[in-house]
Amino acid sequence: MAEGLIVRSLRDGSLPGEHAPALCLQDSLLSPASHPIFRHLLTSLLSQSKSTRVVLVAFHRSPSFYLSLLDPASAPRIRILDCYSDPLAWNPQSHSHSSLLTLLTNVNDLTNLLSSILHLAQDLGSPGNGPVAVAIDSVTHMLRHAPLPSVLQLLSNLRSHDKILSLFWLIHTDLHEPKVISSFEYISTMVASLEPIVQLPDYANTNSPSITSLDENYSKAKFNVRLKRRNGRVKLLCEELLIEQGSVKFSSVPSVSSMVAQNLIPKVQFNLQLSDKERMDRANVVLPFEHQGNGQNIEIYDGRRSLTESQKDPTSTKIGGLSEQKRSNNNNSEKGEIHYLRDSDDEQPDSDEDPDDDLDI
Amino acid sequence: MATGGGQQPRPTRPSSFSRASSSSFSPTSSSSSSTSLPPGVRIGANGAAFVSSGIPDLDRILGGGFLVGSVVMVMEDADAPHHLLLLRNFMSQGIVHGQSVLFAGPMMEPRSFLGTLPAPVVQKEGLKLKHDTSDVQDKERGLRIAWQYKKYFGEQTAVDSHNRDKKQEFSSDFDLRKTLERQLLNSQNIECISTQDTFDLPKLLNHCLTFVSKLSMKDGVNSNAGRIAIQSLCAPQCGYFEKDWDMLSFIRSLRAMVRSSNAVAVITFPASVLSNSISKRWQHLADTLLSVRAIPDKDLAKLLTGYQDMLGFLHVHKVAQFNSQVPVILDASTYSLKLQKRKSLVLERLNQAPVEGSSGVSYATSGSCSSSKGSVLDF
Repeated sequence: MAEGLIVRSLRDGSLPGEHAPALCLQDSLLSPASHPIFRHLLTSLLSQSKSTRVVLVAFHRSPSFYLSLLDPASAPRIRILDCYSDPLAWNPQSHSHSSLLTLLTNVNDLTNLLSSILHLAQDLGSPGNGPVAVAIDSVTHMLRHAPLPSVLQLLSNLRSHDKILSLFWLIHTDLHEPKVISSFEYISTMVASLEPIVQLPDYANTNSPSITSLDENYSKAKFNVRLKRRNGRVKLLCEELLIEQGSVKFSSVPSVSSMVAQNLIPKVQFNLQLSDKERMDRANVVLPFEHQGNGQNIEIYDGRRSLTESQKDPTSTKIGGLSEQKRSNNNNSEKGEIHYLRDSDDEQPDSDEDPDDDLDI
Repeated sequence: MATGGGQQPRPTRPSSFSRASSSSFSPTSSSSSSTSLPPGVRIGANGAAFVSSGIPDLDRILGGGFLVGSVVMVMEDADAPHHLLLLRNFMSQGIVHGQSVLFAGPMMEPRSFLGTLPAPVVQKEGLKLKHDTSDVQDKERGLRIAWQYKKYFGEQTAVDSHNRDKKQEFSSDFDLRKTLERQLLNSQNIECISTQDTFDLPKLLNHCLTFVSKLSMKDGVNSNAGRIAIQSLCAPQCGYFEKDWDMLSFIRSLRAMVRSSNAVAVITFPASVLSNSISKRWQHLADTLLSVRAIPDKDLAKLLTGYQDMLGFLHVHKVAQFNSQVPVILDASTYSLKLQKRKSLVLERLNQAPVEGSSGVSYATSGSCSSSKGSVLDF
């Protein structure tokens, strides 16, 4: 479900008046499985809808690798900016091999990179088609060549450009300082991070998993997604994923979330909700201080007289008696009663005894 | 006790609104002198002058409003845009009172932000009174009031409306669904600056300097208060991102400038994009420090009552205090931001659901799926 939400959001693009949605895909050394997910997102974007066009900025893998992944039918809908073959212009004879590729040899210059991306986007989107999605393979590589502020400005310029439908990129969290990671999270609308399923072994604790089981982390991971909503609420989703033979399978983990919920819900000692019967009873109670409106003498029942005495006295308004008369015909409802006995009746008034005398010290 | 200048020799003079403390002892003198104050400024405890923040609940929590001459900082949450709510109310309040407003934001068209400012809730006199009595009748039907006390109800509404009239002048309730009228926005004393891309900090400082000096240039009539609102000062889109020490110098200069003038500055910044040590320095430079936080979906639904209406949390870290050695001690430091009837912003204290005493569940822990920053709720 999380993955479906992400792909749908990337495909739909932005609402009018807002910038394009941006996904930040994070991983770490302990669960380095983000590249398969990146490829999975790329292929689902292209295959799920016939009209989505993608510009891919490839730093990490060669463009031919990506082209081999894709369905040949969807190949015309992608353009790849090749920043892998010769990013720093060391080879004067390099040139792009196919019409889908554009070779970029000066990756340091980010204004050039931005204009190349926009040029490709306009190319793809030019025959009257809509805006184009942009995928960046590893911002980590970009940060090698250019400083952080310019990379952030490039991404936010892309987000605010009207030719760009949506944007997603990959970043490795342990290769950068925390504030760098949080800057990228700041400008993104969705953050997907991978967490290891198997924790690192603790050598002092003999019960912890052995180091060979760490291999599982390469094929399985916890997929946490944090979506920023318009109303300020943050939607958190937690799923598990399994990578096998180049395909990624997502499965939801209901057990974890319910455990979390159980920890957070306090065990309530008393039930605050009233059952229906209790609610009716409550409505039927005649409170002693309410004005009965019968024209009779109002006397507040203060607990000094016992109930039987006031029954004999016809002038006083007795609570239980009146209500009994009123409701004698109504056998269905059970009336509620208040029984109040003053505590002070039990004590001797004006007792001279010091209650401390009872103590035997 | 004399005004705060007795402690150490400060080169800045306090804002022209604050009085010597002797006049604050007699309540009659403060009410009679209120006519000579410009609109929107009120004298509070210890002779300090306040302007309203635009949110009546926040004014009450901070002990009167934002102090004139102070710098208020709001730490943003990267996930939620609630700091914009605070900024919008602050700017609207200034425009409604006719005060000068300077706005700087990391966007191409900062003037477009003015289009989102809320309009004050308009209440006609006759309608207001009618509304009060019908309100009372509603309350009567809901509550079963003892008959002896019903005679007091009529008196209470009269007192309430009188107090409300007085308060209306200082701080207005804003309707977030309606935007401010165009003609108010076109007035001369509203300035907008864009801090995006190639913008420079010295330029921003110069803008603030000219703005502040314009405030005190009017002679004869008491000069007006001014409001400076800077949105997302250290955002990644700004031209000066990563120049940490430059930004700190800017804030220090701004603080000195504002302290010796009749202005209030509100600065919002995303604390997560700064390194820890620099973030601490930013927080230390603030006179009043607030932070807003988003609510992770469904996590806290069972813990808090009234969860559905909440937009987010507001945490008050530091409250400014001039002319006094006594610190402000708050009842609670975390409040929930709610929209009352979908239109006005209210701050409420958090109410937790009843808990079983023996289990000792701690509410400070957040769910395992959330990010590493845990939310600490202070009830």
